Amino acid sequence: MQPLPNFQYLEPETIHEAAKLLMDSGTQSMVISGGTDMLPSMRQGIFSPDVVISLQAIPHLRDVEWDDTEGLKIGPLATLRSLETNAEILQHFPVIAEAAHAVGSPQLREMATVGGNICLDTRCYYYNQSENWQACDQECLKLGGETCKAAPSGRAKKCFAVFSADLAPVLVALDARITLLSARGERHVDLREFYTGDGAAPHVKAPDEILTSVLVPKQMAGIFGVYQKYRIRNSIDYPIAGVALTLRLNGPDKSAKKLVKDVCLVISGVASKPLVVKKIPPLLNGKALDDALIEEAALLAKKAALPLANTGGERAHRKQMIYEFTKKAFEQAINNGSQIS
Amino acid sequence: MDQITDRTTVNGKKSRSRVLEMSINGETHEITVKPRVMLLEAIRDKIGLTGTKDGCESGTCGACTVLVDGQPTLSCISLAVENEGKDIRTVEDLADGDNLNFLQEAFLDQGGTQCGFCTPGMLMSATALLEKNPKPTRDDINKALEGNLCRCTGYNSIVDSILQASDQGVKPRLL
Ligand SMILES: Cc1cc2nc3c(=O)[nH]c(=O)nc-3n(C[C@H](O)[C@H](O)[C@H](O)COP(=O)(O)OP(=O)(O)OC[C@H]3O[C@@H](n4cnc5c(N)ncnc54)[C@H](O)[C@@H]3O)c2cc1C
Ligand code: FES
Ligand code: FES
Repeated sequence: MQPLPNFQYLEPETIHEAAKLLMDSGTQSMVISGGTDMLPSMRQGIFSPDVVISLQAIPHLRDVEWDDTEGLKIGPLATLRSLETNAEILQHFPVIAEAAHAVGSPQLREMATVGGNICLDTRCYYYNQSENWQACDQECLKLGGETCKAAPSGRAKKCFAVFSADLAPVLVALDARITLLSARGERHVDLREFYTGDGAAPHVKAPDEILTSVLVPKQMAGIFGVYQKYRIRNSIDYPIAGVALTLRLNGPDKSAKKLVKDVCLVISGVASKPLVVKKIPPLLNGKALDDALIEEAALLAKKAALPLANTGGERAHRKQMIYEFTKKAFEQAINNGSQIS
Repeated sequence: MDQITDRTTVNGKKSRSRVLEMSINGETHEITVKPRVMLLEAIRDKIGLTGTKDGCESGTCGACTVLVDGQPTLSCISLAVENEGKDIRTVEDLADGDNLNFLQEAFLDQGGTQCGFCTPGMLMSATALLEKNPKPTRDDINKALEGNLCRCTGYNSIVDSILQASDQGVKPRLL
């Protein structure tokens, strides 16, 4: 078995202790949760932290609870499997269970955590490769080189590695807020603002910050949500096109006259971040959904998706899947219309 | 156990070995490992139980599946240190000496194993399934085995094996 590089392994028992250790150990340290994302990369030699800080011994980080004033609080170590079956989630935000279920395989969901999914490293054919493979060519930008090899020009100074998580786009669509803690203090960040769109530095979390909590606001409870995912092998792979939709349909009548409210469409696997399609709310809020509007929305989503040839699937096909999934997502919303308000 | 005393102080690049007490198939094994050692390496190389297979080493194929506190887990991407004190079961736990258990017998009856490389992982995922759901449907079985790849059988005989093992009308094919 190809061994991992050596590291010092620490198991703090409180979150403040963890934050202090992370600060003391400098930039060459990393937090490990389920390890399903970082351990394969460490084996490939993509990065090799000196210090790995486990959060497993810290109590209550797996808790998922409903708070009547604030909403749903998810601990960063909650496994994706635990979200699939959690009663509060199934009651208030079933789309979270749906998205968690779309991740990887049963074994991976048993190990994978919410914190790791949100902080997931971006992926790229030129980045997720062994050291031997890397040694055959100049390093890509994300590995410290000069240019992004995935960009069509081959000379781009921006990294186009892909954000490939399933749960994170749904949490963005649900307006989730996260708490980041470091020895310097604590801050709250809207998940939507967390992602930068730069594949080399995909989020604004400082190296010494730990994600300690996810809050899905109470006001979002009961909103309709759906997540659609396209991948190469339906049983294990990362998304190469994903669509998360949340919206309310308000109105007295049957589905046709119901008016759209609070719509949000987020696409995943086709950019360096979970991409909020900003033109969707002005197009749809306050209107009744019909075929022409849905077609227009699907075209907007397709246009916003800019997949490159740096992950599975063919580019045009992935764009088309964003279009198809967007249509399907809105159709599901209409079909559920009688149940939502 | 003095290796563990510096648990929570940052100490440069030092990666001291640790003595771990691992509970594997109901037996406690004391092993000394560096933190970088995977559960799979600990089971195969330190403890010498080679039933668990080393396939893709990247979390994709499921050949390394073991049960950790009853849940199917990929031992190739799980650190041994994180599994101290947990109840780990490997494929060696299934048979009683030379007597295969009902699930293993069903795999033989149905041709659910060919080259056999995926079989230990398949058996552990199937064991976890049957412990939770003694009468799974074909669909339940397909879902439970999504993380276990097989290059030989085409899967149908594996699903039949589990249906036979759960006593759901599938009769042994090879007698
Ligand atoms: C074969 C395979 C298939 C996969 N398929 C999918 C898929 O379909 N969809 C999908 O979304 N993902 C997929 N994944 C990726 C991964 O399993 C999940 O995204 C998982 O949720 C990551 O969580 P983790 O706890 O294992 O992360 P880890 O590997 O523990 O951590 C990932 C990153 O987040 C950081 N981190 C973790 N927790 C915290 C925290 N609390 N605070 C600060 N930083 C933190 C780590 O330092 C690391 O950089 C797949 C992985 C594999 C190996
Ligand atoms: S060897 Fe662990 S999943 Fe393939
Ligand atoms: S029997 Fe050969 S891989 Fe499954």
